[in-house]
Amino acid sequence: MKKSKNIIAVFFIALAFSCSKDILDKEPQSGFSAQGFYKTSSDAQAGVNGIYDAVQSTFSLNFSFWGEGRADAVNTNHSGDPLLLQQNTLNKTMNSARWNNLYETISRANYAIKYVPSVFEEDTEFGLQLVGQARALRALSYFYAVRVWGDVPLILEPYESVEQELFIAKTDKDVVLDQVIEDLIFASQNCRESFGGERDRLLITQGSAYGLLTQVYMWRGNYEAAIAAADKVLNNSLYSLVSINDWSKIFSTGFSNESVFEIGYDETQTNNLRILYAIGSDSHFFPSENFRASFEEDDLRQDLIYDVTQEEPKKIWKFFGQGFDDESADPSAQNIVMIRLADIMLLKAEAHNQLGQVAQALSLLNTIRNRAGLPELNEAEAVDMYGDLESALLHERSIELSFEGHRWFDLVRTGKAVEVMGPINGLADEANFVWPIHEDALNRNPNLEQNGFY
Amino acid sequence: MKKLKSAGKLYQKGCEGLLKKVLLLFIAQLCCFGLHAQSTSITGKITDAESGEPLLGVNIVEKGTANGVASDFDGNYSIDVASANAVLVFTSLGYQSKEISVGNNVIVDVSLELGANQLDEFVVVGYGKKKKRNLTGSVVSVGGEDIDQTNLQDPISILQGRAAGVQVVSNSGAPGGGMSITVRGNSSLNSGNSPLYVVDGVPIESSSLSSLNGTENFGLNPLADINPNDIESIEILKDAASTAIYGSRAANGVVMITTKRGKEGKGVLNVNFTSGVSQITRKLSVLNASQYRQAIIDSYRNMENPVEPNWTIIDSLNPKNNGDVDWQEELLRVAPQYKVDLSVQGGSENAKYSWSSSFSNQDGIILNSNYKRVTSRLNVDFNVSDKLTVGQSLSYTNGTNNRINAGGSGNLSVVRELLIRPPSYAMYLPDGSLNGYQFGKRNPVGLAEYATHLNKSNRIIGNQYAEYEFIEGLKLRSNLNLDFLSMKEDEFLPSTLDYREGYNSGAVRAITNLTWGNETYFSFDRTFGENHNFGALLGMSFQEWQYERTGLDGMFFPSDNVRTLNAAGTISNQDVNILTEHSLLSYFGRMSYDYSGRYLLEVNLRADGSSRFGEDNRFGYFPSASVGWRFSDEKFLRDQNVLADGKLRFSAGQTGNEAIGNYTSQGEFLVGTNYLGYSGASPSVMPNSGLTWETTTQYNAGLDLAFFNNRVVLNADVYLKETDDLLYNVPIPRTTGFNFITQNIGSIENKGVELLVSTKNMVGDFTWDTSFNISKNENKVKDLPDELLTNGYIQNGNYHILQEGLPIGTFYGWKFEGVYARDEDNVNGITNGALGSVFKGGDPIWNDLNGDNIIDEEDRQVIGDAQPNFFGGITNNFGYKGFSLNVFFQFSYGNDIYSEINHQRNSVVRYNNLSTDALNRWRQQGDITDFPRPVRDDPMQSDSRVQSRWVEDGSYLKLKNVNLRYRFPNRLIEPLGLSKLDVFVTASNLITWTKYTGFDPDVNSYSGLRAGVDEGSYPQSRTIMTGLNFQF
Repeated sequence: MKKSKNIIAVFFIALAFSCSKDILDKEPQSGFSAQGFYKTSSDAQAGVNGIYDAVQSTFSLNFSFWGEGRADAVNTNHSGDPLLLQQNTLNKTMNSARWNNLYETISRANYAIKYVPSVFEEDTEFGLQLVGQARALRALSYFYAVRVWGDVPLILEPYESVEQELFIAKTDKDVVLDQVIEDLIFASQNCRESFGGERDRLLITQGSAYGLLTQVYMWRGNYEAAIAAADKVLNNSLYSLVSINDWSKIFSTGFSNESVFEIGYDETQTNNLRILYAIGSDSHFFPSENFRASFEEDDLRQDLIYDVTQEEPKKIWKFFGQGFDDESADPSAQNIVMIRLADIMLLKAEAHNQLGQVAQALSLLNTIRNRAGLPELNEAEAVDMYGDLESALLHERSIELSFEGHRWFDLVRTGKAVEVMGPINGLADEANFVWPIHEDALNRNPNLEQNGFY
Repeated sequence: MKKLKSAGKLYQKGCEGLLKKVLLLFIAQLCCFGLHAQSTSITGKITDAESGEPLLGVNIVEKGTANGVASDFDGNYSIDVASANAVLVFTSLGYQSKEISVGNNVIVDVSLELGANQLDEFVVVGYGKKKKRNLTGSVVSVGGEDIDQTNLQDPISILQGRAAGVQVVSNSGAPGGGMSITVRGNSSLNSGNSPLYVVDGVPIESSSLSSLNGTENFGLNPLADINPNDIESIEILKDAASTAIYGSRAANGVVMITTKRGKEGKGVLNVNFTSGVSQITRKLSVLNASQYRQAIIDSYRNMENPVEPNWTIIDSLNPKNNGDVDWQEELLRVAPQYKVDLSVQGGSENAKYSWSSSFSNQDGIILNSNYKRVTSRLNVDFNVSDKLTVGQSLSYTNGTNNRINAGGSGNLSVVRELLIRPPSYAMYLPDGSLNGYQFGKRNPVGLAEYATHLNKSNRIIGNQYAEYEFIEGLKLRSNLNLDFLSMKEDEFLPSTLDYREGYNSGAVRAITNLTWGNETYFSFDRTFGENHNFGALLGMSFQEWQYERTGLDGMFFPSDNVRTLNAAGTISNQDVNILTEHSLLSYFGRMSYDYSGRYLLEVNLRADGSSRFGEDNRFGYFPSASVGWRFSDEKFLRDQNVLADGKLRFSAGQTGNEAIGNYTSQGEFLVGTNYLGYSGASPSVMPNSGLTWETTTQYNAGLDLAFFNNRVVLNADVYLKETDDLLYNVPIPRTTGFNFITQNIGSIENKGVELLVSTKNMVGDFTWDTSFNISKNENKVKDLPDELLTNGYIQNGNYHILQEGLPIGTFYGWKFEGVYARDEDNVNGITNGALGSVFKGGDPIWNDLNGDNIIDEEDRQVIGDAQPNFFGGITNNFGYKGFSLNVFFQFSYGNDIYSEINHQRNSVVRYNNLSTDALNRWRQQGDITDFPRPVRDDPMQSDSRVQSRWVEDGSYLKLKNVNLRYRFPNRLIEPLGLSKLDVFVTASNLITWTKYTGFDPDVNSYSGLRAGVDEGSYPQSRTIMTGLNFQF
């Protein structure tokens, strides 16, 4: 008995001390600790895909709130952001004044830009093009940030510790745009020319980097550079204009040859296109009277864009196809086209016009007009109809690119915002062109100052 | 539905046989009633053996019968017994019971020895048992009788109103639905407010692991895996002296559940059968179709630019909109349920066993919801030698919960749709098919009938122990414990309920959760001399948790009939294979000393190391100490017989809370942030390696008194509890890419009083006992870091704020003061915001707090408080001969409810149907009413702002449980080989007195920080059951 007693005692004691403190080391099994993520090339790929995930959420609603809400093509009955934007009564609690998603994109990109190179021993093409995509998406985010808020905090490093400075003040918008251009030039040199198939539209390629560069240069009024960048897009065999018969499909089915970069969505990763534009009785926006009256006769695009059968049309068909009729306030699966060839062509036309190269400008304009079934214009006719060629080009953009999120930025960029929107909602002050910084952002960061106008 | 029916049939068949036999039994017994044997009358006097004082309230029972009386004030009694063979059993609380054979005596005087009865009454505490009279901490015990009489399905519901200091609120009335339980107030900001549950020494998983909850905020109740009939007692450890031995998980109290174990003696077979029905406690009134259409038309006419709505929703000829459906009628039902319990207990000197098995089948009051449960348990103990004891507790539970999407918002919520779905929406289309989808909303009847939302679980909870006694009083015990849960969930939405052709979707999740560990400890208990009692405990434990989830989501199934994911045309989400782990390594010790039970002292210490914290902050130390003084044993109180027992207790100590994510301190990269089909990963949690425990310091003072030979017993406790280093998700600038970092900040205080009074009001043939408990807890946020306070508070979800000096659960919003009868009644021209419109006739009058004639954020104020002023319960037990009646009331007073569901059903914004209150709505200038005009897309936000109009008094008094039972006398049942036969009727949730206008004031759509919100949870039901209990 005594023996067994000893054996039992030894057993218990051994059991008790077999536990060591190592058992308290628990590394994540299915996710990764913040430092431990970037290890293999597939991690690097996943990290970059994660940036697109943030881009999806960023633009789901805001491509329209930011790019159309304050402009003249839309009208609304909806309280909240749509009405505040239309009536130019922006406030610091409105949803489109939040920059959370943009900075989440930037944060994910910063992680990738810092850590992707460490995965690859040397500068491999695979690694570089991933960094290129990350930098282009960061540039896309900052480009929007500058156009929406002006000066914004410029953050280029990932946050990995509470020791880092959390409360960053604003940086001058020109410094931010310099960074945007630097990132895009890197992307245009290091991204892939083509992935093949749908990915050419869904991911950042050299072509999409040049497309974005064209937009940024035009915003800054750097016309030569814009033309050079646009040429890279126009000469890229990936891109060609579709026929008018397929025009609706650019949006409704996506992946068209005209698309330079579109954000992909599907049945589970959805966006708000339907809620924005297409619920017959109750969507955020419907075509304004000005917009409806601005069509030239026999423009083939008119009844592709909205429901012309109604006296007070509410439905915007452009993104869903002609005849789309739905009362459901459900999310949509259509891709959102961010850059397409027609946009780049018209921007290039504008740049030529600014440089006095009228012939080139007219040629590009007429290419787009031809497709829409409209007669070609010469300079005199353009001036006659629209006052000057720039206005003719802007008008063409307002129809061709209607509701795609360009109109407000076009008005601001060309200095026509007050002229156009003043009579509609009393917009008068250039300082009013930017949005207020959201209250929540101000509350969280004592070093942040509200934009002057607000 | 088919399956259900066949299951029902099966049950009927199985029971028919049983019922027949029982019926025969009844008849046989009824025949016996007339045959009375001759009886003898016995009288006598009962005294205290030591003092010779007469004892009142002693129970005298003829052994083996229901025949019993009690002694009067002078200790005298009189009882009629059947024969000279009768044996009388004398019992009294605080005395050793005595059995005396009557023989030929007609006078039987008895003197009872003090105390053994009570001295032997043990309560379960951390790592051991303790004599109840020697407790120095605060422990509340709910015993077998309360559990038996309620016939509830899970152990948590039993605690509601029965344990002082323990607040239980229902999250969902669904079968197997969630409950939230708070011991002595909320002590944490990060939602870790649930107590630690320990079943037979196994710390079990108590949070819902269900991952497909649809629109519900809450999952299932994991405690529903424990069959209440298996439970011997539930003890809730409340103060730090009692809980500190559980260290880092004990800040919210510890609930110790002890199951029945075998006793020496002949095996006893116990059969319990209950069956009954439940139904909704009340229906709520809503508009009919034509009233609804008019309200919608009004809401358009009230717009700033009035329009006549010209679309289908108000078109009574449109086949989709020509209904007049009472959705409550369509979806609610009278739901049957039944439960069968079998158990056998017994044993010899060296081997004891307790075996049980149960099956229950419970239909929910909402169409098609059903919960089936099979439980099985075996507890055994073997004395291998004088020194060595080994044993095991093992339980297995199989649950099948056919759920419906109940609470919450969204177009999948059935409960909300009960109330807000327009009555005009047709149930069927002209072609006879179901009108499955309409304007963003799925048909709730279709959801209940045709969608799948199934949860199947298998759970094993086991504990294996060996205990060795080296010398008298010195023992070494080692427990190996295990809680293994495997769960599979299926979800399917058929295309008939979607607006898109062929669009259906399904999901499947398989979850396994393993908690296992070992506890090994020495214990020493010995009395030196006559009066010096020593106790000591020293041990260590290790615990590990592993959670794994695997799942797929898919869509575009070719048919609604094949619902497994292999048929999915598209797999939309395949990232869900997740494994997380967590471990805890602990050392603990306890020393206690008492002098003859008069002066008591105890100290505890536990050191806990958790994998959740950074390497330098892993270990936390949790000490406690307590003292007790039994002043009734002092000389100056000995010579009286009013006060039978009196004790003062004090305790102080610290406990912890580690309720954060497993990897929060390390930071996390989340996988599954995919871009279409391309798998993605992204940073989701910012690391903070400095994180450590929340620490709660608690002081407790208690007084235990017993008067008049324990006929009146009183336990009172006061406590003060302060929690520091709260784990909180501190918001940081979003420019970092993160929303918050988890940090240790701030403090919360809880203080309160608890009182328990139990009395024996009447003794004798007719007995009447009462037990009453009441608790008051004051919760206050004491300190929050300044950088978190914008405008002096933290917005906490939609309806609450956190502010220093105010309790958790404070509602904050605009104060509603009525409705402008006419435009000109707004004499000050108060506007909605600085730039907004002027409030007009029919608009709400908002309290303009700062008097600037502008209603904006600055006018928000405290509009309610979810914390009750006090809560508790009162139980009355009546007994007469074989009859017993148990009546249990439960109450909560002074708590407010933010009725989001009332907002929903009084708001036209989403085309919701409205309550009949809307018939009193403002219609024209001069109308005096408190119901504002409905406005479509209302820029004045009359309905949608967080406001006092939706805050209601949630106080209630509930007749929670009534149990009427008849125990057949032994002489009738003995011939049948039975040793016990009870028949009973139980009603739960019978009547509720409340001002609350929702389904039931016992509601909580969120727990913890966001308490007191009714978002439309699965409603509570009233249940009436009959049952039969017999023993062989």
